[in-house]
Amino acid sequence: MCFLLNSSHHHSIHCIVPPYMLRVLALRGDPRTAEMARTLLKQTEKLRDERAELTRAGLPPDQPLGGAYATSAVTPAKDLCCPDRRIHDGQFRAALPGKLVRSEGQDPTGIADADTAYDAAGQVFSLFAEEYGRNSLDGEGMPLIATVHHRRDYNNAFWNGTQMAYGTGDGKIFRTFLELSVIGHEMAHGVIQHSGGLIYENQSGALNESIADVFGSLALQRALGQEVHQADWLVGRGILGPGINGVALRSMKAPGTAYADDLLGQDPQPWHMDHFVTTTDDNGGVHINSGIPNHAFYLFCAYLGGRSWELPGRVWYRALQTLNNPMASFSDWADQTMDSAIELAGRGSIETVMLRRAWKLVGIAI
Amino acid sequence: MIIEIAAQGGFGGMAAARLRKTIDVDDQPEQMRQELCDAFGPDELARLARQPCGACADRMTYRITVTEDCESHSFTLHEQQIPPEMLDLIDQM
Repeated sequence: MCFLLNSSHHHSIHCIVPPYMLRVLALRGDPRTAEMARTLLKQTEKLRDERAELTRAGLPPDQPLGGAYATSAVTPAKDLCCPDRRIHDGQFRAALPGKLVRSEGQDPTGIADADTAYDAAGQVFSLFAEEYGRNSLDGEGMPLIATVHHRRDYNNAFWNGTQMAYGTGDGKIFRTFLELSVIGHEMAHGVIQHSGGLIYENQSGALNESIADVFGSLALQRALGQEVHQADWLVGRGILGPGINGVALRSMKAPGTAYADDLLGQDPQPWHMDHFVTTTDDNGGVHINSGIPNHAFYLFCAYLGGRSWELPGRVWYRALQTLNNPMASFSDWADQTMDSAIELAGRGSIETVMLRRAWKLVGIAI
Repeated sequence: MIIEIAAQGGFGGMAAARLRKTIDVDDQPEQMRQELCDAFGPDELARLARQPCGACADRMTYRITVTEDCESHSFTLHEQQIPPEMLDLIDQM
C-alpha cells in the first residue's frame, strides 16, 4: 500500500508548494502574494503534521523489492549484444505505452521526440553494456520501452517500473524532457530498481536520485567524448523554458546554481551536509539533498581527471551492485563506494585517497 | 461541486512546475459534468487511494479536494493510482 494514504475533511485550500518556495514568495511577492504565501505556509505546516501521523515514512514497502543483490551484475553479462528499443507515441494522452512508432532497427520516424528517445536509449544502453558489462536495465536484456508525448503540457519524465515516459513540457517552465542526461537519469532508475533498489524517501531516496543523475551525466559525457574538465556536469541542460533564468535543472559541479528565477526561486540543492534539508516535501527532499552525493561524485572525478565513466563510473556501478541495503544512508553509500574503490584500484591507492577526500569535502567522513 | 487539484513531485522536484487547478463542475457542459462527477466522487477517490501504488521514482502526487454542499473531502493520490482516463480529464481542465 502507499505510504501516503489518507482521507480527511477540510474547508481550506491545501498548499503543495514547498516551504522554501513559499518563503521566497513571502519575501519577494507583492502584498497580496506575500499574504497568500504566509497563509499557505501555515496550512503546509498543518498538512505536514497530518501526514506525519498517517504515513509510514522510512519503513520498507509491504512487497519485497525485486532483484535484491544481483551479484551476477558485477561481472559482464553473457550473450550481451544489442538493445531492443521500442518507442511509442502517447499522443498526448495518459494511457501507456501508446502507439508503437519505432522498433529496434527501424528507420527514423520523422517524429523528433521519438527519434531522440530512440537514439538516446541506445547511448545509455551502450554505456551500461560496454563500460560495465550490463545487459539492459535488468541485466537480462529487457526491452527498452519509452513513450514520448505523454499527456498534455506535462512537466515531467519518469520511470514507472517497466518503461520510461516523457512529457513535452508546457513550453513555459519546461520546453522538453528529451535530453540525454534526463533520459539516462530515467533509465538509471530502472537499473537501480533491478540492482536491489533504494527506497524512494529521505537519504536512500536522495541516493536513488543522485545515482540516476550520475549515470545520466556519464551517458552524456561519454556520448560527447568529454573528459571531466570539459563537461558541464549539468542535468537537464536546455530543458527549462525560454523565459526561465537558468541553465539546467541541477548542477553536480555546483549544486544550488542551476537556476535563479523570479518564478522558480533559487535552485535549492545543497552541496554539503551542513546544509542538508530536512523536509517532508518531495519524498523527504529526494531531489534536493541529492546535491550532496552528486557533488562528492563530481569531486572524485575532478581529482582523478580523465574520463569519468571509466574508473569513477565503475566504482559507483560496482557499489550499486554490492550495496544490498535499500535503506542506505549517505554514509552507508560512501562506505560502499570506498569498498568498491579498494576492490578496483587497490587499498591505499591514490584513487581511494581522492575518494575519501571527496566525501570529506561534502561533510561525510569514511 | 468544486474540484481542487494540486500536484507535487516529479523529475524536477521544482515548485513552480507543479500543477494547481480548480474547476466548478456545475459550469461544465453536460457530458463533461457527468464524467467529472463519476471520476471525482468521494467514494471513487477513496477507492483509488486504497490501490497499491508500486514504484514511485519521479512520479507526481495529487492532492484532490472535492467540495459539495459546504463539505470538503480531501485525498492524496499517487499518479500511478489514478486511471489514465482520469489523468486525461485532469489535463483537460
